[in-house]
Parts: sequence; C-alpha cells; structure tokens
Amino acid sequence: MNRFRKKLRALWRRRQLDRDLQDELRFHLEMAAKESTGSDVGRRFGNVTSIGERCRELWTFANVETWWQDVRYAARTFGRNPGFTAVAVVALALGIGADTAMFTIANGAISWDMGLEQADRVVIVSATDAARAQSFGSSYPDFRDLRAHVKSLAGLAAYQFVPVNVSDHSGLPERYYCVRMSSNGNRVARQKPLLGRDFTSADEKPGAAPVVLLGHHVWQQRYGGDPAMVGRTIRVDEVPTEVVGVMPPGRRFPEDTDLWTPLIPTSAIARRDNRSLMVYGRLADGVKLSAAHLELDTLMRQLASQYPETNRGLTAEVLPIVMITGVYAMRPLFAVLFGAVGFVLLIACADVANMLLARAAGRAREISIRVAIGAGKARIIRQLLIESTLLSLAGGVLGWLVAIGGLRWFDAGTGTLVKPPWLHLKLDATAFGYLAAISIATGVLFGMAPALRLAKVDIHGSLKDGEYGTAGGRRSLRLAGSLVAFEMALCVMLLAGAGLMIRSTANLYAAPIGVNTANVLTMRINLPETKYPREEDLVRFHETLAGRLDALPGVETSAVVSNLPLGRWIEFPYQMEGAAPAEDRLPRLGAIVATADYFRVGQVRARRGRLFTDAETTAETPLTVVNETFAVKMWPGEDPLGKRLRVVRDGIPQPWLTVVGVVPDILQDFRHPLEHSPLIYLPYAEAPQRVAYLVARTGVPPSTLAQVFRTEVQQVDEGLPVYEVRSLENRIAENRLTTSLFSAICTVFAAVALVLAAIGLYSVTAHSVSQRMQEFGIRLAMGGTSGDILRLVFRQSLRPLVYGLMIGLPLAFGVTRLLRAVLAGVSPGDPVTFLAAGAVLTLAGLAGCAIPARRALQVDPVVVLRCE
Amino acid sequence: MGKGKSRPDGTLVQGTLDMLILKTLSRGPMHGYAISQSIQQISDEVLRVEEGSLYPALHRLELDGVIDSEWGQSENNRRAKYYRLTPEGRKRLSREASDWRRLAEAIARVMETA
Repeated sequence: MNRFRKKLRALWRRRQLDRDLQDELRFHLEMAAKESTGSDVGRRFGNVTSIGERCRELWTFANVETWWQDVRYAARTFGRNPGFTAVAVVALALGIGADTAMFTIANGAISWDMGLEQADRVVIVSATDAARAQSFGSSYPDFRDLRAHVKSLAGLAAYQFVPVNVSDHSGLPERYYCVRMSSNGNRVARQKPLLGRDFTSADEKPGAAPVVLLGHHVWQQRYGGDPAMVGRTIRVDEVPTEVVGVMPPGRRFPEDTDLWTPLIPTSAIARRDNRSLMVYGRLADGVKLSAAHLELDTLMRQLASQYPETNRGLTAEVLPIVMITGVYAMRPLFAVLFGAVGFVLLIACADVANMLLARAAGRAREISIRVAIGAGKARIIRQLLIESTLLSLAGGVLGWLVAIGGLRWFDAGTGTLVKPPWLHLKLDATAFGYLAAISIATGVLFGMAPALRLAKVDIHGSLKDGEYGTAGGRRSLRLAGSLVAFEMALCVMLLAGAGLMIRSTANLYAAPIGVNTANVLTMRINLPETKYPREEDLVRFHETLAGRLDALPGVETSAVVSNLPLGRWIEFPYQMEGAAPAEDRLPRLGAIVATADYFRVGQVRARRGRLFTDAETTAETPLTVVNETFAVKMWPGEDPLGKRLRVVRDGIPQPWLTVVGVVPDILQDFRHPLEHSPLIYLPYAEAPQRVAYLVARTGVPPSTLAQVFRTEVQQVDEGLPVYEVRSLENRIAENRLTTSLFSAICTVFAAVALVLAAIGLYSVTAHSVSQRMQEFGIRLAMGGTSGDILRLVFRQSLRPLVYGLMIGLPLAFGVTRLLRAVLAGVSPGDPVTFLAAGAVLTLAGLAGCAIPARRALQVDPVVVLRCE
Repeated sequence: MGKGKSRPDGTLVQGTLDMLILKTLSRGPMHGYAISQSIQQISDEVLRVEEGSLYPALHRLELDGVIDSEWGQSENNRRAKYYRLTPEGRKRLSREASDWRRLAEAIARVMETA
C-alpha cells in the first residue's frame, strides 16, 4: 500500500528520481576515488548505469510498463500499415456495433419487467382443449371453483382488460385501458397503491359502490397530480366512480393498465361458458410449476366431469406470466436476429484473423529476431494478442458509434407502434459492458490463431530463408482456407434468411388488399355498456352518427365495421342449415360485422348475387354476404346463393341468415398475404359490436377531417372519446411495418456479411498468390499458359467457397425455420431463395478472387526469377 | 560482473546484507558509501559490500519502509543521501538479529560436535 504510494509519487517525479540516483552513485564513486587507487574506480565505472537501472526498476511499475511498451509497439506497427488497419477496424466496428445494437434491442425485448416482485413465480392459468389445440380464457365460475380448492398457488386472481371512457370536468373525454380484477388482484401481484387503499372483498359484491384505482401517469397527466384525488368522483363509462387510490409510478400490471376497477360478477360474466377472463396466480412457497400444473389439471378435469356441457375436454395450462406477453412471441425472431448479428461478428473476426495470418507471413523474420535475442514464447503470444486486442478495441470504440446509429435507425423505423411502453432501448452500462466484453473477446478470438501460428515459427528456417519464412507456408494457408469456408457457411445462412425476409416483404406489399385504400378515414369508438345497455342502443347511435357524418362536406359515405382490412376478424360458433348437429362444441367461423355502406366505402362490388342494404337487415329473415373463399370451401361446386346458416351468440342461436351475394376476398390476415380465410359479412344490426371502427370515404385528404369527426361524435355523445384516428393507408403501412423492418435489418446484416466474406476470400487468395508468385513465374517460364495459372488460383480459392456452401446451405434449412413467424407467403425452406443465396455468394466470391487472380496473370517470369 | 580477486567468503547472501545494513544504520543516519565502509572495517575487511548489491538493497529497503532517506551535507560539504532506520526497521532488525543468532549458534554447535 505504502509502497504503491511511493511508486506513484516517483512516477510523477521521474526526472527528480533519475537525478537523485545519479547524484547518489556519483557521490559514492568520488568518495571511493579519493580513498583508493584510480585504476580500481575506472574499472568499476561501467557498472553505474546497470546499478542505476536496477534501482530505477524498483521504483517503477515494471510490469505495467513493459505492457505499455508492447501496446506502443503494436500501435506503431498499425500506424505503418494504415490500409490494413483501417479495413480491419471498420470490419470489426461493423460487427461489434451491430452486435451491441441488436443486444440492446433483444435485451430490452426479452427482459420483460413490469416491476413485479418475484415475477418468475407468477403464472397464468388458462383452459385448453387438447384435442383441438385451442386455448381459452377462464370463466368466472371456473375461477371461483379453482380458487376455492387450489393449494399449490398462494393466490389466484382474475381480470378482464377492457377499454373504458373517462369523462369529467378535468378535460376532454379520454379512452383508457382498464383492468377489471378480482379484489385480491394487487395482493397476488404484491403491489400496493401509493395513495389511498387497495380493493376489499366488499368492493366486488354485486351492487357495491363503484370504485377505481388510478394509474400514476393518469393521475399526473389528467389530474395534474391533485393531492386530494383520493375521494374524488370521476365518470368511468358514464358511471360516477369514487377514486379510492393511486398506484405507484410505473405500475401497469397486469397489462398496459391505466385504471383498475373491481371485477363484479354480472349475469353475463357469471356464465360458465363465458371464457373472457385471464387468471393469474402466485406459486406457493417451494411449489414447482409442474406441481401447480398437475393440481390445476386435476381440478379442471373434475370440473369437466361435473359440468360436461360447458367444460368437456378442457384441461388446465399453467405458464410463467412472461410467456404470455406480446413480445414473448417475438422472442424466436429476436433470437434469430441476435444470432444473425453474431454471425456477422464472427465473419468479421474470421476476416481479421485472416488478414493477421497473411501479415504474419511477412513478420516471420521479425518474430524470429525477437525470439533469437531472448523473447520467450509467452512474450511473443502476449505481444500478438495485444496487437489483436488493440485492433478490436479500436473497432469497439468505432462500434459504439455504429450502435448509436443503429438504434436511432431502429427507433425511427418503429416509432411508437410496435414498442410496448416497458421496452426501453438505451445504450446503458449493460450495453457498454457487453460491448467491452465482446471487443476483448473478439480480439483474443481472432488473435489466437495467428499468435499460436507465429509463436511456433522456426527461427533457423526463417532467418535463413529471408522473406519466404515458414510462418506462412502451407499449414497457415490451410488454416486461412478453413476460416474462409467458415465465413462462407455463415454468410450463406444469412443470405438465405435475408432472401426469405425480402420475399416476404415483397409478397406483403404486392398482395392485393381487395379494397380501395386511398382516401379512407378510420377511427375507433367504444360504446360503454353503462350508457348503451341494449343492442338497439348501439344500432341507433350509429344510425344517428352515420346520418350526421354522411351530411358533412367532403364525406362521400361512412360505415361501421368490426375489423378493418388486415385487422383479422371475429369468431362465432355457427350451424349450417341441413348439417348434422355437432356432437359437442359447435364449429366456428370468421365474420366481419359491418353496416351495408362498408362495401361502398371500400368500393367493393359483389362478384355474384348482390350486397345487402341497411334497410333489409332488420327484416325477419336477415341476409348475409360471404367471401369467395368461404363459398368455394363450404359449398364446392354448388351455388352459394340462397344457402342458409346461423351464428350462435352467448349460447343463443340467432335467426337464419340467407346468403345473397359473394364478394371478392379482402385481405384480413397480413401474415398470410397469399391466402384468404373463409369469412362472412354480418349486418351490423345482427351482431352489434361495442368496440368498432368508423370508416369513411372522403373526397378530401382524410386527415383534414379528423377533428370534424371528433366534434360530430361528441355532439351525439359528449362523453365519448374517439381514438386511433388514422387513414386506412397509414394503418396498413403500420401492419406491414414489423415484417418490412425485420427484413430491412436482415438485409443490412446479410449485405455486411457478404462484403466481409468477399474480403475474406480476397485476402486469402491475395495471400496465396503473393506466396506463389515464384511458382507462377516458373510455370510461365516452363511454357504454362495464363489459363493454367487462372485454374490454379481459382481451384485453390474456390475450395473454401464450395465447402462453405456445402456446410452452410443444409444448416440454413434448419435456421430459417425459426423465421416462420414473420415469413409471409414463402416457406422457410424455399428452394428458389436458397439457390439465389448460393448464387449471390458465389458471385461475390468470384469477385473477391478476381483481383488477385489478375495480379497472378501479370506476373513477369523474368522479374520473379531474378528476385531469387 | 565479478569482484575479481575478492575472496569467496566476502560475498553476501541478500538477506544477510539487508540485516547488516539495518544493523549499521542502528548507529545513526549514514550515506551509502559510509555504510559500505563501515561494514568493511568492522568485519576487518572480510566482508566487502559491492555497490552493485548495496544500492538496489538500499532502495528496496526504502520502498519497504524499513529505512528512510534524506538529502544532507556530507563531511566534505557535498550533497549526499543519508539513510536512517524507521521504527519499523528497528523491529525488523531485532527480529532478524535474533533469528540470525539462533541460526549461527545452531550451525556452530553442529560444526563443533562433528
């Protein structure tokens, strides 16, 4: 400790230390000279430098300083070779930077963190029908029964996630997401309100006074952090509701929650076949997930035998809560991208390793001299590893900038659309640590091969041979060849993946949507049950609103629809007239609920028969229209017109619907742009939806009418918020965004990889050509043709390419499977894409070989032979 | 780097030299040359301290904190570096001296009985 301080002080006063040492020794010599004969002093004088040196060493950080010497020496070697250094640093910066950016994204996406205490002990319980591979939510009676009996869980809570409208004097009405949960919900999650109180079991009794907990952000933004908020009354879906508490900042569990209200079992919720609840629980202390699963499964089977008409075939599924979050489904995708970027980094490493190997050929002599004058093997390896680490650290510094740029690009590309609120993309300390770690690791990784190779250098050979030392030689060429083959294999996998993504994107953009998307304004509206209790109220509201909207200047026609194009559909159990009655549960069909004008808004014409009109939909025998896929699939070879079917809503069969027309397919599922699902169009009055889209064809740019529409809606109902006001074109672009973004990322990665791989092949070819110049010269002198030389060069250089393809293509089949979730209209093993990937890589490889091959042809036998 | 004609028993093992330096300094502050002279004289020219061992040893002991140094005036008015024992040095000296005595007595007994 003390010693360290003294050394540090000496470091500051290096000059002083040297002077003192000299003075001290000179004094000694002078004293000695005075007292003895002159010759003795002269003989000893030579020692002074060495003694001083040994004393000085004691005062300095000798170890650190030789390291520092090595680093400075390495920096000087790179300074003499700026071209090589620049290429290597840029390659590494691309690899390291992209890897860090992707790490930050993937890390943000997979570390789902809602601030939940012991989140890994919280599980989601759902009902599954194993035979149909379908998953359902829970029903209130099932939930009550499970909660009463389960022992492996420390608590079980149920909730519904619903949009609500909040209106009061604090501003315009707003739409919020509300979690209606059993009163123990917060206790199971182990979260407590910041202000006020939690729910009690009295709050969830039917007829209890309505209460609400506010999210911290709602309290801040809408109510300005009013300290007297607890006890105030706000209107939630038009019902005066007392605020009993405010949650702590950042608390949104279990979803992106704005408000929490108690779940009161109304008559609709209390039905055992209404499976609209999510159920979560906390594993009791020491209980494993599998044990909880077993117990809940047994309980569900008991319920199935007790209530066969609603629960037959249903068993329990218990999953860690993190697995049901939206981003969880994206995990394989992030894994693929993360893997892809790892490939890019590996390729960059292999490249730099190759360049170092090639350089090593020229350094055999230098290394031999160092060994000859006494450098140990460890010292040589250390020196070479310092060099490679210095390179990779430089790459890391530049890579940090690449990462910043990459994240900006990703942020700009995604906007706020696909990013959940808890996903933070920050280059924080973790990211920096990661960058530092991979920088050092890559330095050691790509430095190891050349270092070990060089340390084995045969001193006598290389000192005698001069330039053609044995550090190059056949073995190092073989090593370089394997590295390039490895690069090629990685690269062809990336190319195949990128190719599939590009084709998906192309498919997605090329797929006809089936409606005219230009000049269509869309917005979402939610009619609360409290104010519009009956279905007639919903129909009447929309009739009134449509009358007003259609009268606006600039509006051609407006309509209401449950699902927009690319917005999927809703499902109903149904019966076909004349079909045999189903044994247990009814089959389901996909339906779009729409007012008749929806077809006019989308400019869709009937392909056969006709469309329904609003006037007809209230008739005794309602009408329906089906899409072409439905007609072909349900009634192959038959005339669909006049067929009848009916849907079942809340367990009640509805009146028979007569098919009066067939419309062209409209694309509803953007994941599968080349196929269509069978769908029927139900008149709005047949199945009124509380949450629906208003759509309008406009004669002016749609966005200019947004505010006018808001005003009109609020003149019909001043407490009603309108949200997600956007043009249809914008919405479709958003839907496509995920795929196009991922395809852009993959393409960038693959392009970088391709360039790096081509550089790799170039450097190994150039290396071998420069080593074989003499041989080529002799061959030419002996009558070989330039064709022979070319054949030699290409045969040797293309071998790694061929091996790379042979290894990489089969592996790519396995890897692209992981992309399945985002592929659209192309299968993971698509042969055309794979062939194209191979061809692109081959072309790039040939280009990489061409330059050194040309140099080989320009060899002048006279010059080369004279050199020797 | 030999001492040429110097006798083999005149070379000192490192630990011993440290102890001799500490012992010499226990008589008061001294510069390097005086230390070497003092050891040489007291040992009747048997022990010769080479500057090649003396100065590295002095600097090492200084870094260890058992001796301290100060620049001062020599007897002939020259700038000289004076070393002196620290309290820690005193402790080390008494420890090493007793160790040495035990060792020397043991060796002497073995040599006499043999």
